[in-house]
Amino acid sequence: MPMEKLSLRTEHTEDRTIVHIGGEFDLEAASRMRAALNSLIEQADRRITLDIQQLKYIDSTGIGILISLAKALHARNVSFDVVHIPSHIRKLFDMTGITPFLMKPESSI
Amino acid sequence: MVNERVVTLSIPALPEYVDLVRLTLYGIATKLKFTFEEIEDMKVAVSEACNNAVLHAYGDLSGNIEVTFQTLGEELVITVKDFGKSFVVDESKEAPVMHGKEIDEIQSGGLGLYLMQALMDRVEVKQDGGTAVTLSKKRLASEETA
Repeated sequence: MPMEKLSLRTEHTEDRTIVHIGGEFDLEAASRMRAALNSLIEQADRRITLDIQQLKYIDSTGIGILISLAKALHARNVSFDVVHIPSHIRKLFDMTGITPFLMKPESSI
Repeated sequence: MVNERVVTLSIPALPEYVDLVRLTLYGIATKLKFTFEEIEDMKVAVSEACNNAVLHAYGDLSGNIEVTFQTLGEELVITVKDFGKSFVVDESKEAPVMHGKEIDEIQSGGLGLYLMQALMDRVEVKQDGGTAVTLSKKRLASEETA
């Protein structure tokens, strides 16, 4: 039985677009994620939030795609953040130094 | 006396097979009583080595990646070997990490080797008729140290 390894669900709320990413964000998922996030960038007209509560795995492939996304949205002046980061994934974000580009310091708003 | 045990897995060098390596690693590391966090670290490191082989070893040709899991006492030694053309692994290069940089300065590539080194105790790269990356990690002592 084929199993959905990467899940993607987009939700539009009043003030933002939330993309829920679950499963494994690896090399196998890369082309699908790149395509999905590119169309998100093209249509970006308001705040974008990635909710990765259900994300089980990410490696440098996925982290690289998140960096590209953060840069592209920054260049378009679109506000972007990542929420509900599981602790073992947060560790990788901290190690690579990507965390400040993904999380808005709530206190400084 | 160190009791050595070996498990070997050979996969096609394609992205959709790398998860088999993670599943096997999970099974072996669980038997060795590695913690959840240690297993997650090793999963990423081993996948990075496999990703490099998938992306660079064989070009458009097909080939296999051989992964060996060797248990040496409380240490797990994992070797990821391909039989393709050697790719350049520049270990002397500054780690492409983003600490203290602005968003305009950061790059999206080159993190694989850095992560392997950060997540494992030891990383060795050998190039001889292909590339072999050896990753080692010792399980934390289970005894109470306090």
